[in-house]
Amino acid sequence: MKQIFLLILLLIFLISCSNNNSEVIDYKDNNLSNGGVLINAMSAEPSNLISMIAGDSASSAIASKIFNSLIRYDENLNFTSDIAESWKISKNQKTITFKIKKGLEWSDGVPLTSADVYFTWKLITNPNTRTPYGADYTLVSEAKIPDEHTFIVTYDQNYAPALDTWASLEILPKHILENEDINSTFFSRKPIGSNYYKLGDWISGQQVNLIKSDNGVLGAPHIDKLTSRIIPDTSSQFLELSAGNIDLMNINPIQFKRVFPAKPKLKRRTELYKEMGNGYTYLGFNLNKKPFDDKRVRQAINYAINKEEVIKGVLLGLGEPISSPYKPGTRWNNPSLKPYAYSPKKALSLLKEAGYKMSGNNFLVKEGKALEFEIITNQNKQREMTAVLIQRRLKEIGIKVSIRVIEWASFVNRFIKTGNFDVVVLGWSLSLDPDQYNIWHSSQQGPGQFNFVGYHNEKVDLLLEKGRRELDLDKREKIYHEFSKHLLEDSPIVYLYAGYGLTAVNKRIKGIKMPAPPAGIYHNSYNWYIPKSLRRNEFTDK
Amino acid sequence: MIFFKGNSLAIVGFIIISIILFVAIFAHFLSPYDPNYIDINSILLPPSLDHLMGTDGLGRDVLSRMLYGARISLFVGFVAVGIATLIGIILGSIAGFYGGWLDSVIMRLVDIMLSIPTFFLILAVIAFLTPSIWNIMIVIGLTSWMGVTRLVRAEFLSLRQRDYVLASIVMGTSNGKIITKHLLPNSLTPIIVSSVLGIASAVLIESGLSFLGLGVQAPTASWGNILTDGKEYIQFAWWLSLFPGLAILVTVLGYNLLGEGLRDVLDPKNK
Repeated sequence: MKQIFLLILLLIFLISCSNNNSEVIDYKDNNLSNGGVLINAMSAEPSNLISMIAGDSASSAIASKIFNSLIRYDENLNFTSDIAESWKISKNQKTITFKIKKGLEWSDGVPLTSADVYFTWKLITNPNTRTPYGADYTLVSEAKIPDEHTFIVTYDQNYAPALDTWASLEILPKHILENEDINSTFFSRKPIGSNYYKLGDWISGQQVNLIKSDNGVLGAPHIDKLTSRIIPDTSSQFLELSAGNIDLMNINPIQFKRVFPAKPKLKRRTELYKEMGNGYTYLGFNLNKKPFDDKRVRQAINYAINKEEVIKGVLLGLGEPISSPYKPGTRWNNPSLKPYAYSPKKALSLLKEAGYKMSGNNFLVKEGKALEFEIITNQNKQREMTAVLIQRRLKEIGIKVSIRVIEWASFVNRFIKTGNFDVVVLGWSLSLDPDQYNIWHSSQQGPGQFNFVGYHNEKVDLLLEKGRRELDLDKREKIYHEFSKHLLEDSPIVYLYAGYGLTAVNKRIKGIKMPAPPAGIYHNSYNWYIPKSLRRNEFTDK
Repeated sequence: MIFFKGNSLAIVGFIIISIILFVAIFAHFLSPYDPNYIDINSILLPPSLDHLMGTDGLGRDVLSRMLYGARISLFVGFVAVGIATLIGIILGSIAGFYGGWLDSVIMRLVDIMLSIPTFFLILAVIAFLTPSIWNIMIVIGLTSWMGVTRLVRAEFLSLRQRDYVLASIVMGTSNGKIITKHLLPNSLTPIIVSSVLGIASAVLIESGLSFLGLGVQAPTASWGNILTDGKEYIQFAWWLSLFPGLAILVTVLGYNLLGEGLRDVLDPKNK
């Protein structure tokens, strides 16, 4: 009895302890100062800190803080200087000359020169390098380094996405990697970079620590240390955020709309950010299979799906319907296109036109075969719920749908890469350049390539080829508007929604731009700071 | 009830299982809503008079889904255990009655199967098959027959030495008749007890598979997949985790109590 009493006392003591500390902080302090630690959560462990080899988002999130590219995007998505201080495109638009900043250094003190840039280009175009990104760089017919501060590339044909490709290639140090095998080098776990952070330590399965680098290409950041804790389960991440153990995490619509309003204490010390993401979720048909080779069937299904309902039910309203494969609000998005409005009537009349008749038990039948198929998707709650909503609407007009949820690796390898599916619910995240040759050109249908739905339209092929050769932005815009129009008309996929990216950040982190600029809230993360009074108490070795 | 006289835990088990069976069989009449009726205007409502167990992420009534989920869980339990028991009886009878090399082969097979962690074997197999309720029942059945086999064999080994069995053999009764008329009826008790306990573990395995997304597929409700849905919202939608969790707990407990009660009552050595 006595022990239980003591235990209860201890519990009360612990509860009162945890409640006290967060209340006294006044988050109004805005004084800029250097120092402090930012702790964020990531769902997956980076596989490899060399981006060109890794290819997963966890890796590139860390690597982008360690490495620089020749150029980068600014907050309005225009190109600006990074390693290169300027660049010039020749009159015939086939040659780009990059002028590299003087006096740059790797974090180990060795000078960074055009030789490193040339080395990186050689590396990514080397067929022995296991990278999915090589194709863009093999289009360079000639690369030259006349001196330490100049890098010149020449293309055989105009290549519009060229600058975008140089903004995404992270430059690697020649003096370390020259005699290493890039596919297996230990450098991938112990990188030496040139950006404002360098790797402190990496504890597998737990966390990656980045510490400030004083000789970075873009100068030094305000925050001394970035800790990325690896917490695969988002519910656990949220508990850590509630407990104040992490400062920043991506949240889902339920947390944004329901959980935060219900927790005033947590809300008081957390800022919520909402920005349109650069990606969308869709329902894709396997065009090589019947009946999806019939445009009328695809359009009918498009009409039968209520996208507003999906956005309201799955995203709690935190998404937008789309009608072209570009981020709403950008110049590439064709504003004159409208999504297929929800209309079961139109759907039915299109299906009747395609030869389907309603059978006795309320299912559509053509030549004795019922209209039925399987929707597959990966283990993603939002996609699964989306599929359930679609299943209901299609059942109402007489289409039998079953749903199958598959673990990601086997989903990609056994179903997508082999074309062994009827219909998928999936998402595309897009690069900032409008070129979507990889996704929609009919030549990109091989195993493992991105046009796995099997889309083929000669007009679209031509437009895509034209689009990547056109450097004039206005002309290019017209081409992609035209391309989106054909795509919407053919309906090889049903656009479901573009969701908002939602981020919760502890208010101690200052300097985040709101509302988010086109490049997103992270674009100026090196300018973020933590005022002295708001820092965590920490042991240091200094 | 009189059957279990004095064994109050067994009576509790019996009552629990009866209620769950009743609910599962009459789910159609008992559930207030269609378990798959989606209402996006009433997403994640807490329990109230309209929705006694609240609603889930798509506005479906959790109580109705729980009732239909009971059907799935029990159905899987019974059929899987039926398959396992059938295999167990056949292999156990052969091993116990004929002995010799047949016995050695079957018992080594049992040893091999027992050395593999069942749940992971099931996971691996299901990952290659289309996840459906039928596949799950078959796979659970095919991986949980070893206990019954050992029990039946042990019973047969001892029964075979009894005088009435020896007498039948001397009289020239066929082996099949001896097994079905004399040996099996006398070894029913341990088989029944182990089957009832087996249902409990089959219910658990089904819930586990559905929780991992490898079980019953959407939109069909099962306790396991309601529980997974609940995991997403556990910080504020407690009803989505509590009710299916409790249902699984109570059902498994019920079968275990009932199974042990049956053993106490049926086994003369315990009297």
